[in-house]
Amino acid sequence: MKKNLSNQSAIIMVIAAVILVGTIFVPWWGMKFYAPQYPEGLDIIVHPTGLEGDIDVVNGLNHYIGMTPFSNDTFPELPYIRYIVIAISVLIVVGAVLRNKKFLYGLIGIFAVSGAVGIYDMHRWLRKFGTELDPNAPIELEPFVPPMIGENTIANFVTNSYFTYGAFMLAAVLILLVIPLWKDRAK
Amino acid sequence: MGQINIKGVIWLFISGICFVVSIFFPWWALRLVAPQYKEGLYIWVYPYKMDGEIDIINSLNHYIGMKEFSEASFPELDYLPYIIGGIAFITIIIALIRNRTALMIWTGVVLVLAMLGVYDIYRWLRTFGTNLDPSAPINIDPFIPPIVGTNQLANFETFSFFSYGAVLCTIAIIILLIVLWKGKERHV
Amino acid sequence: MNTKRIMSGIIGVLAGLLVAMIVFTDFNQTETVSSADNKTNAEKVYVAPGEQDDYYMMASGGHSGQLFVYGLPSMRLIRQVPVFSPDPATGYGFDKKSKEMLNGYKWGDFHHPAISETEGEYDGRALFASDVGNNRAAYVDLETFHTTDILEIPNISGPHCAAFVTPNSEYFFLPTRFSVPLGDEYVGLDDFSEEYKGVMSAVKPDFENNSLEIAYQVMLPPWSYDLSDAGKGQSNGWGFLSTYNTEEATTTLEINASQNDRDYIVMFNWEQISKEVEEGNYEEVNGVKMFDPLEHPGSVYLVPAPKSPHGVDVTPDGDHFIASGKLSPTTTMFSVEKALEAIENEDFQGEAQGLPILTYESVVDKEVEVGLGPLHTQFDDKGNAYTTLFIDSQVVKWDLESGKVIDKEEVSYSPGHLTAVEGDTAAPGGDWLVSLNKIAKDHYLSVGPSHPESMDLIDISGETIEVVGSAPSQPEPHYAQIINADKINTTEVYDKDEDRENAVWDQADTRIERDGDEVHVYGIAMRSRFIFDADSDRPDTVTVKEGDTVHFHITNTDRDEDITHGMGINGYNENFEIQPGETKTLTIEADKSGSYPIYCTNFCSALHQEMTGYLLVEPK
Repeated sequence: MKKNLSNQSAIIMVIAAVILVGTIFVPWWGMKFYAPQYPEGLDIIVHPTGLEGDIDVVNGLNHYIGMTPFSNDTFPELPYIRYIVIAISVLIVVGAVLRNKKFLYGLIGIFAVSGAVGIYDMHRWLRKFGTELDPNAPIELEPFVPPMIGENTIANFVTNSYFTYGAFMLAAVLILLVIPLWKDRAK
Repeated sequence: MGQINIKGVIWLFISGICFVVSIFFPWWALRLVAPQYKEGLYIWVYPYKMDGEIDIINSLNHYIGMKEFSEASFPELDYLPYIIGGIAFITIIIALIRNRTALMIWTGVVLVLAMLGVYDIYRWLRTFGTNLDPSAPINIDPFIPPIVGTNQLANFETFSFFSYGAVLCTIAIIILLIVLWKGKERHV
Repeated sequence: MNTKRIMSGIIGVLAGLLVAMIVFTDFNQTETVSSADNKTNAEKVYVAPGEQDDYYMMASGGHSGQLFVYGLPSMRLIRQVPVFSPDPATGYGFDKKSKEMLNGYKWGDFHHPAISETEGEYDGRALFASDVGNNRAAYVDLETFHTTDILEIPNISGPHCAAFVTPNSEYFFLPTRFSVPLGDEYVGLDDFSEEYKGVMSAVKPDFENNSLEIAYQVMLPPWSYDLSDAGKGQSNGWGFLSTYNTEEATTTLEINASQNDRDYIVMFNWEQISKEVEEGNYEEVNGVKMFDPLEHPGSVYLVPAPKSPHGVDVTPDGDHFIASGKLSPTTTMFSVEKALEAIENEDFQGEAQGLPILTYESVVDKEVEVGLGPLHTQFDDKGNAYTTLFIDSQVVKWDLESGKVIDKEEVSYSPGHLTAVEGDTAAPGGDWLVSLNKIAKDHYLSVGPSHPESMDLIDISGETIEVVGSAPSQPEPHYAQIINADKINTTEVYDKDEDRENAVWDQADTRIERDGDEVHVYGIAMRSRFIFDADSDRPDTVTVKEGDTVHFHITNTDRDEDITHGMGINGYNENFEIQPGETKTLTIEADKSGSYPIYCTNFCSALHQEMTGYLLVEPK
């Protein structure tokens, strides 16, 4: 295979792979719930490895509106994400060794598609939790879809959703992968 | 000496009435004030009874070994109303017989009785203030509370004063003196 | 000539005034404000040492079983008065009388206090208490702030929907939160709808003897009766109860009792029921006169109200009643006039458990969008209502006439009841309101996981409302009533009653009498000694034999304000208090021999430490 990427580009790709592996250890997405009696806010923090934050408290409150409780078990994709991330990282390192542009195109393609699937998956979950409410719940709410980013009001709670470190790092990885293409563009 | 004029007779009647009325008012009082008794604790002495926060004062006084006082500890209270009634009665008799000599003697007697009364109060104050139980929890030097005026006793400030009954009696005695001085019939 | 003179005179005076104005007017003065408006929040609630508060707030103590007495506006806790549970500090539940009143109960759950009323206004004579935990009612004499009577009530279970007093304190009612089979019988839960009943008790206070008696009971459907209020004005003679679980669920009520979109307000005509009972229209159940509205119809009606309503509150004029649907964002105002008309015209939309349901549309006045989780409503003197919003953690002020929301104020957090100055009477005050919050959370210095409750003091004297103070409370005031301090007339010292049973006033009369193995001590507690037997060498020592029953009849002869004596028996697990001029009896079983010090437990005097004695129990 043709080695048409520079040494510098290869280094950048290795850095991208390292950052990508690093995302496993930081949260990707979060949601904060504020209410008068929770001025400090309740957190749901999504890591690629699992959920963190005040999950039990949020579930305890959500049952009043008939929302399905969420836990690591309710998201079957969680156990696989870390392997997907590692696999892509390995591929990026392989790309750095091969220094092949076409391979890099393929990598960027895989990365972008995975990202899009990931975002769609999140949206699917948000819609599922917000719309499939138990009709027997004490408090009846109109079904709703919480936004992936930004504010929403459910009963006395104001929610704030946001992407965090992991997501930013993923974006950085994407940018780092694109840089070699630009740097080593055909002159 | 001559007769008492009609004005004098009327005044003597008023004097007699003053004596009688004084029976129903307190003659002398003691007020004790301490930080926790801002409103003051009172002993009111009537010719026939004692009134006020006697029980509370007794229970406080036992700490300094003072004898308890009650109506029973003052035998005078049993016959004082009769003495005062008697004084009033004799005053009115004198008004009726209109004899100035009798009035003069009578005025003298009343003045002596009044002094005896004041002495009696003093005697009691001295008895209570000096005959303190030596085994009492709080030892204080024997003292004689003043008949009129303030005194400091441990955390208590005491105020003693003559009250309405004594004032009425004083008026009655002054009337006796004025009648004696001014109440002479001009033509015999 | 003359006119000219007069004119020049007038002009001269005007000129003078103008000069005076210019010279003396302070142009820096922006506006004149009265000193009351000028007060800072701190000044509004500040009550200087030695000064007294304007109001009493009588707060129920919830599962502590006690009554909490606060001063307002300082929010100072003045006293905890034991009602339904023992109180070791005062010896409530230890001495003979209070032990008999408590009858072995270890706890109570005091939910809603009700101050006695005359013509729909607090009269300050007594306070009635209800015990959700053990089905009791209590009479607290407001002259002494002592509980003087406790009534155990059969057939009911959990009188949460109590106590609400009729406008002239004819009765107070205790409807129940839990339904049970009549007559303490066992019936399986499958027969709940048929065999279980929600019974309401009418209790009659006796102001002469400071006591209570059951007048009659009313058999109601097996629903949960939550809160209540008595009618006044044109609704006088009626009572209003809120219900939930009209689904008649028997398990997981959280879900299963939250299914119906509407539950009911029960309207019952207590005047008519009282008359019918007098006429003999009742059956005896467990020794109580039981009235069945199904057999004698025409006194109980149902009004549909929004999902699981909590509070039902009658307006000061008695023309409306307001039901707050705790799971709906509205509070619903009903017209008494329309309801009475609907009853008259038999305008019914159906029936439930045999009771007629008035047509909702015929009775409703308006639905007010107050916010999330409305629970309870109180009133001021200017035609406004104040409602707590549990879910939103707010108190909302709204106009009764228009239903318009005027202001909302955040409280911390999750308010249950609220109480305004005489805010549930015919003549509310209108200067203060206290929000009784269920969650204190981060509001006070932390004491670990068990938090106090929180109470927010709200100034409602202006157009907008503002929290100006906050105080923690022990668990757990559910409802409170605020009464003008002028209406409470207390006695600080008990009368020297020479005829009182077991009382000893003269030290010479103190004595110890033995009757078999019963020993009666007729003693005195005074500053600073006990006298059990004045003739004894050791007047403050009681010597008995192991196995004796010892009755200490102790009179506090210090009839002086705040000279309370206590009597604790070291090692015998007994203690009680005797107030100035009071006589109390403590009975103990001298079942272990030994020498046990007796001492005054309530600091009384400079020589309090010396106020001791001995209980000597000789071995068998």
